[in-house]
Amino acid sequence: MTTGVTSGVAQTWALSRRSILALWRQPSLVVPSLVFPLFFAALGTASFSRATALPGFPDVDSYLDFALAGAIVQGILFGSTVGATALATDIENGFFDRLLASPSTRTGIIVGRMAGGMAYGGFQTAFFVAVLLPFGLTVKGGLAGALGLIVAGIVLALAVGALMASMALLTGSSEAVQGAFPLLFIALFFSSAFFPRETMSGVYASLADFNPVSYLVEGMRDLVIEGVSASALARAILVPGAMAAGTVFLALRTLRRRLGRA
Amino acid sequence: MSRTSRRAASLGLARRSIVNITRLPSAFLPSIAMPVFQAVAFAGTFFAITRIPGFPTSRSINWFLPLAVMMGSGFAGIGIGFTTIRDVESGFYDRIRLSPAPRSALLTGPLLAALVRAALVTTIVLIVGLWFGMRPTHGVAGLVPLYVAGLGMAALGTGWGLALAFRFRDMRAAAVMQLTFFLVVFVSEAQTPLSIMDGWLEGVTRINPFNNILRLGRVGFLDEPITWDNSWGGLLAVVVISALTLLFARRSLDRLADA
Repeated sequence: MTTGVTSGVAQTWALSRRSILALWRQPSLVVPSLVFPLFFAALGTASFSRATALPGFPDVDSYLDFALAGAIVQGILFGSTVGATALATDIENGFFDRLLASPSTRTGIIVGRMAGGMAYGGFQTAFFVAVLLPFGLTVKGGLAGALGLIVAGIVLALAVGALMASMALLTGSSEAVQGAFPLLFIALFFSSAFFPRETMSGVYASLADFNPVSYLVEGMRDLVIEGVSASALARAILVPGAMAAGTVFLALRTLRRRLGRA
Repeated sequence: MSRTSRRAASLGLARRSIVNITRLPSAFLPSIAMPVFQAVAFAGTFFAITRIPGFPTSRSINWFLPLAVMMGSGFAGIGIGFTTIRDVESGFYDRIRLSPAPRSALLTGPLLAALVRAALVTTIVLIVGLWFGMRPTHGVAGLVPLYVAGLGMAALGTGWGLALAFRFRDMRAAAVMQLTFFLVVFVSEAQTPLSIMDGWLEGVTRINPFNNILRLGRVGFLDEPITWDNSWGGLLAVVVISALTLLFARRSLDRLADA
């Protein structure tokens, strides 16, 4: 029994390592998920600095502090699509079938892929904080706040990675996975990722109120602009945690259905 | 080569590209959906910026709709570059080049197609915009600069897309086309006017000629009069950049023939 567990962990670790190395070896796939959020954070800071004085805007030193959480979520959405696209490519080129034919655990194949995405999500969060600090970013929560952001980034990467992995398993098409990306983008835009909900009105405000991304972004943002609190940590980690519980379940169920079809 | 056959070849190539809209709607629909989404999402998300003192309109959709049209029209041109890459990779472009069609028709045909696509995108975005509260401040006349700017973006996008397609001859060109276009459009008054910006963006926007095109597209939607002063820069930028990119495309096409 212990040997079986050890072997399962070793297999999952080997597959996680493979997915991380794939990202490392193909920088052209991951660079956009690092560069674009930083570009938008820089653009937003230069464009919206005066908006921080508007009624409804939280008390921040600069728009950059406000924008960090949105940039992290944006980067993780980009990055998680890359991992799921790689899974779909494995299915398309037959490598996934070879993995299934190997003595590896079935869940290890998916969990390994997600673990790679989680590691990358944590790296992205740390990278964004490290790059923006010299440009005036202030994390009021200090080191604990930054660690909270990294944990939130990891959990969010799991939630989004599992959702996109479900899409990859369902369709077996990398094109379909990439085609689903705009849906994530819509979820991001109709949230408080870029502007506070308090400044929105009408249907936009209702959509942002209804969108769970708003609550996770606001939790992460509070770690930056207010400091560490139980409420901020809960929203930053538990919201993506709840999302992850649902999407991981969905991914494993889709895997079982795919295996049943095979 | 007679003028008639040049025109016939151009129209034939344009028709081929336009027919693809109905034959392969899944490839064209994103180019409509993207600007519509951008106009609506930006207007809703950044609604509050219109409350900043000095903002030139009280309707956020009036500010963001022309930006979406510029993006959509530019991508209508760049999309021609994507199609050309596929044709080059599949070898179909070699057959087009071996046909008796004049070389210039290989540029004017796709250009015509891009202009038709851009006009379609602009019209659809305007219709959706009206539904979301967009109101031209100078009546129908205010739409003319928007169409001119949009068609200009399509023309320069076509030149840029074709030139890179001929130079790279593979899908690497697609990433370069999109990234460069995205950067030049956003490093401008895309989100806020110059008077509200701060820091590096203000300096870059002042020297970015694409900003003039965006300004031209917006003149009919702001609470300001349409004057020659706020239009000529955009018209000049459209003419000069389109000419340069189409010349670059022509040179690249000649180089492709020499290869």
